[in-house]
Amino acid sequence: MSTVSETTIPIAELRRSQLRFRGLEAGHRACQGCGQALAARLVTEAAGPDVMIANATGCLEIFTTPWPQSAWRLPWMHSLFENTGALASGMEAALKAQGKSTKVLAFGGDGGTFDIGFQALSGMLERGHNVLYVCYDNEAYMNTGIQRSSSTPHAAVTTTSPSGKARMGKRHLKKDIISIIAAHHIPYAATASAAYPSDIRKKVRRALAIEGPTFLLIHSPCPLGWGHDGSQTVEVARLAVQCGLFPLIELERGELTSVMPLRSARPVKDYLKPQQRFRHLFQDDTRAAQELEHLQALADHNIEVYGLRGTNADPLDSDGADTVRRGGMRWA
Amino acid sequence: MPQALEGSQAIAQAVALCRPEVVAAYPITPQTHIVENIAKLVADGKLNCEMVSVESEFSAASVVLGAVAAGSRAYTASASQGILLMAEVLYNIAGLRIPAVMTCANRAVAAPLSIWNDQQDSMAVRDAGWIQLYCADNQEAVDTTIQAFRIAERCELPVMVCMDGFTLTHTLEPLEVPSQEQVDGFLPPFSFARTLDPRSPISVGTLVDPNYYSEARHSHHHALLRAQEEIIAAADDWGQLSGRHYGGLLQVDGPEDARLGILTLGSVLGTLADAREEYPEAPAAKLIKLRSFRPFPVEALQQACAGLSDLIVLERALSPGGGGIVGAEVRAALSELPDAPRVHNFAVGLGGRDVPLDIYPRLLAAAQSSGPTRFAIFDAELDRLPEGDR
Amino acid sequence: MTIYTRGGFALPGTSVEFKTGSWRLQRPLHWHRDAPCHTACPAGEDAQAYLARFAEGRLQEAWETIAGANPLPAITGRVCDHPCESGCNRGMYDDPIAIHNVERFLGDMALSEGWAYPVTAPARGAVRVAVVGAGPGGLSAAYHLFRRGYRVTLLDALPEAGGTLRTALPAYRLPRDILEREIERLLAIGITFLPQHMLGRDVSLEELRADHEAVFLAPGRQQSREWSVQGSVPRDLHTGIEVLQDWISMGSVPQVSSAAIVGGGNTAVDLARILRRAGAEAHVITHNALPGPDAQPDDMMAALPREVAQAMEEGVVFHEHRGIRRLILRGEKVVGVEMVRMKKLRRPDGTLDRVGFEGTETVLHVDQVIPAIGQDVAPDGMEGPLGRKPFFETDAWGRVAGHDGIFAGGDARFHSRGTVSGAVGDGRRAAEAIDRLLRGLALPEEGTAEAIAFEKINLHYYEHAPRAREPVLPVEQRTGCQEIERGLNSEQVAAEAARCFSCGTCFACDNCWTLCPDEAVLKTKELASDGSHYVFDYDYCKGCGLCVHECPCGFIAMEDEI
Repeated sequence: MSTVSETTIPIAELRRSQLRFRGLEAGHRACQGCGQALAARLVTEAAGPDVMIANATGCLEIFTTPWPQSAWRLPWMHSLFENTGALASGMEAALKAQGKSTKVLAFGGDGGTFDIGFQALSGMLERGHNVLYVCYDNEAYMNTGIQRSSSTPHAAVTTTSPSGKARMGKRHLKKDIISIIAAHHIPYAATASAAYPSDIRKKVRRALAIEGPTFLLIHSPCPLGWGHDGSQTVEVARLAVQCGLFPLIELERGELTSVMPLRSARPVKDYLKPQQRFRHLFQDDTRAAQELEHLQALADHNIEVYGLRGTNADPLDSDGADTVRRGGMRWA
Repeated sequence: MPQALEGSQAIAQAVALCRPEVVAAYPITPQTHIVENIAKLVADGKLNCEMVSVESEFSAASVVLGAVAAGSRAYTASASQGILLMAEVLYNIAGLRIPAVMTCANRAVAAPLSIWNDQQDSMAVRDAGWIQLYCADNQEAVDTTIQAFRIAERCELPVMVCMDGFTLTHTLEPLEVPSQEQVDGFLPPFSFARTLDPRSPISVGTLVDPNYYSEARHSHHHALLRAQEEIIAAADDWGQLSGRHYGGLLQVDGPEDARLGILTLGSVLGTLADAREEYPEAPAAKLIKLRSFRPFPVEALQQACAGLSDLIVLERALSPGGGGIVGAEVRAALSELPDAPRVHNFAVGLGGRDVPLDIYPRLLAAAQSSGPTRFAIFDAELDRLPEGDR
Repeated sequence: MTIYTRGGFALPGTSVEFKTGSWRLQRPLHWHRDAPCHTACPAGEDAQAYLARFAEGRLQEAWETIAGANPLPAITGRVCDHPCESGCNRGMYDDPIAIHNVERFLGDMALSEGWAYPVTAPARGAVRVAVVGAGPGGLSAAYHLFRRGYRVTLLDALPEAGGTLRTALPAYRLPRDILEREIERLLAIGITFLPQHMLGRDVSLEELRADHEAVFLAPGRQQSREWSVQGSVPRDLHTGIEVLQDWISMGSVPQVSSAAIVGGGNTAVDLARILRRAGAEAHVITHNALPGPDAQPDDMMAALPREVAQAMEEGVVFHEHRGIRRLILRGEKVVGVEMVRMKKLRRPDGTLDRVGFEGTETVLHVDQVIPAIGQDVAPDGMEGPLGRKPFFETDAWGRVAGHDGIFAGGDARFHSRGTVSGAVGDGRRAAEAIDRLLRGLALPEEGTAEAIAFEKINLHYYEHAPRAREPVLPVEQRTGCQEIERGLNSEQVAAEAARCFSCGTCFACDNCWTLCPDEAVLKTKELASDGSHYVFDYDYCKGCGLCVHECPCGFIAMEDEI
């Protein structure tokens, strides 16, 4: 029988006494199953209370702070779409001048990071500010209604890269942002996924332990923009990793230092199929078949270039990284 | 003890005396000497601050925004294209009520490209919600910079100190650099109530819906209007401390009973003052220096213009297709007076064109000989234009 | 009226004023569902539950969880056919949990540690109930009745309790000391045991009924079925159960050099194995198929697959899908049998029929044929409730129609599973039915407990881990009564408990708490009302269903809201 689980402790009190730090509070207005909300929750939890956040314009900013309410429990500031790297630089410079150890986090979406905010980010990295920049990558301009960004994957449909008689979705490739970031010779740049919370936690802590600019790209599914059910957010993100289209890697000073191995690479179709944005690739059409092959080839390329194929079962590989334990707290 | 200093060098020293913790800079002529001098002070260990050499003016303004929000006094400077690139951030800083201070080394805006002085740049961002103070000479720019920090921090509004590029920034003049004690006595250590702090974590930069946006704008507008008192107080207090006073919102100079007046902003004022001595035969005229363009001092202006029959408004910018920017506002302010003077609105010295002394009698003559001029670029030589473009 | 803040700043965590729960169309609920190991267990043991206690390090509680259903885990942990493992969802992932090894480990530990049964003595003057037959069914019924506060009289025709556990299970499968200790402990809780009391001889059913409010009959099947091949019977015919019981009690084996054993149950297999131990050639002839992945469930021989496998290791020859068509006699002495290939085929009316295929006859040279085709209930003293049938007709609660207060179970019941765990379950159910009858309560609805399906398990969250291999006595040493299966050590057992998926029951993995994008799952320090460590905050839950999909063990389900 299904039951409503209850406790004798009043729920508001229970909320206050949760045994983990909470950076992002309930009551935010993200869509059901929002991957970005999940990722931001995980990042702020891992980063702990002694941080302040510079947040680019975007869904995360909008859904957390409809005045007079805020879902943040951390000092947080939104200024503009394209200046987050600089805003964070300013915060960091001030804290440095004041002799404070508070860490600065910068949050942006793929639009604010790959595209419009790229220059400010590059400047921040080049100047060596002690900032962890986190890009929540949902592969399109979702806040404005799902328009193509330079992060949108090849062949994905958005409102500005529709499919039709003459086109099969986005014509261009997803920008290889992590290589570009790593080329700044920064101490640490990594990719992560909303499907691998313990990996996110590990990478956030690793980044924050480093003095200097660090970067984390987190693949964060958008149920609305990708066209999948909100309950499938983690599943879809996991498949992206497991098929090789979104490799989880770490780069230190531009050198690849670690990858999350794929125990067995899933076909990209498994990842694409549940998403409406790739639905046109499953019609009976030679162009569709060709694009599917293209995406598979891109995944295979990643697997080869980053050496993702695991040789033996590894407890931290794409199948083992989130093995559950009785009693939980595996994230600790 | 007066020292001979270039304007930019003097400003750099004034900024340093205010003990900023963060200075962000991106080079643009004619602002460069200011930030170069600050960088040198930092390099020499004379100024202990984070000097952030950013990759654009957009980031310069953003760094300042982030720094002030995180609890530090911060400063930047720019000009021309840089001001325009900053525009979005300038609006943002003001709307967030962030007490930042910047210098605008006034320069024309392209195209056509001009690196020389006019005030089109600061005028272009007049609606950003910043306090804008225009300085007539380098001593005033030094003293106003110091005052600007106190005004900004007391009003929780950003202040832009405008000084004419080259004309002031690159001119060597003897001037008094205040002592550190003087400045410390005038400007308390930086404190900002809405500082981002993990111990009381507020969220800044929220989404305000139509239910409250109007109230937000009202509050911002009235904060600027109320800032007039702090501008006056800062001028008075600094005047007592230093013996130098440039007026609060504006300054009137000339015979009480003069029926003619010339209102202007920035360094042209000095030219006109010199010209008045050069041409003693010219009709008596009051010189009105508009120091605070934002907030726009309607009452002070009405008082200053009472009794005038003609007022020449001289400015170094225009709104193409509209006319004079300052002129339009002055006209609107004076229209409330029962015997409003006739207003003659001219632009002069655009794109660095020299404003000669003899412009003074020519202006007065123009005001007396004809009906009011709605707007004209006074020193434009129209025969240089093709027929159809005149 | 809210006062506009300068610059439009907001205070931390004020979003809690906005109740996103109103967006929801469906809500998640905790939904405990039975694990397949639980629903599959004839004795009613919840393996998932005791594996969980084990994994938590609460070993005594784990044993008590078993003992709540089955008082004989040291025994069943050895001899059960463990349908729990066949049902185990993990079997579809890698290997099923070695549940019986955990049960055996805990049973043995209870013996060595002297853990007390979770019972309290019945009140003086409590209602009396009689149990006939001290085999696993009778012992189970006596125990469960005692737990429920009844004074229990347990009768058995033999001098010692145990029934088939004692008479038909060779010690190499169930060591005597385990049997003795577990039964002795059980009886010692306060059950009045009357050995050598045979119904119909020493006491009548009516007399029992007069002193007791109810009677549970679990006499087992003691009467061998008649056997012949087309009317011919060899001269010195012994039935399999007789030979087995003689060996078990006296160690004697018929002097044969080769024997054909007819039948496919455990008796046939055990018999074959003891003949091998005596140096004879042993053939098992069965109509059914050998256990294996391709065998149809309704066509598989009844013996435990692992016993069959061990028998084969020991040299027993199996002839599957065969029947005996003719005894080859010299005089009345058997010199061989003629076998024919047979299969159970469906008749047009749907019933099954054994069909022999002409032209497939072969001859097997043996000097003895031993039928092990099963027994019927010996009717002595129970003629009434038996009603001239070879077994008791009962409902699922063991009630015998038309005989109020008379219950029956174990092997003596029609449709008996013929297993120890089946008998234990019969005893438990009958005890509950008796209790309800005597308290004037209706019996609960026959719930069709459906186990949580394999598809509800999110396999991503489990790591592959091989099942522990139980050491066995090498074949060459299997000459006497030494136990063949040696059990698992504590590390191995703990590893098995840790492999459990915890199907349908929260094991506090934190996934829902970790993955809720809306901070709508709260963790509790104390157990919540449903035994989990989490509650949903429906003020904020948007009903996305992510927790449902990511719950490893299928403990969360979505429910429509109006």
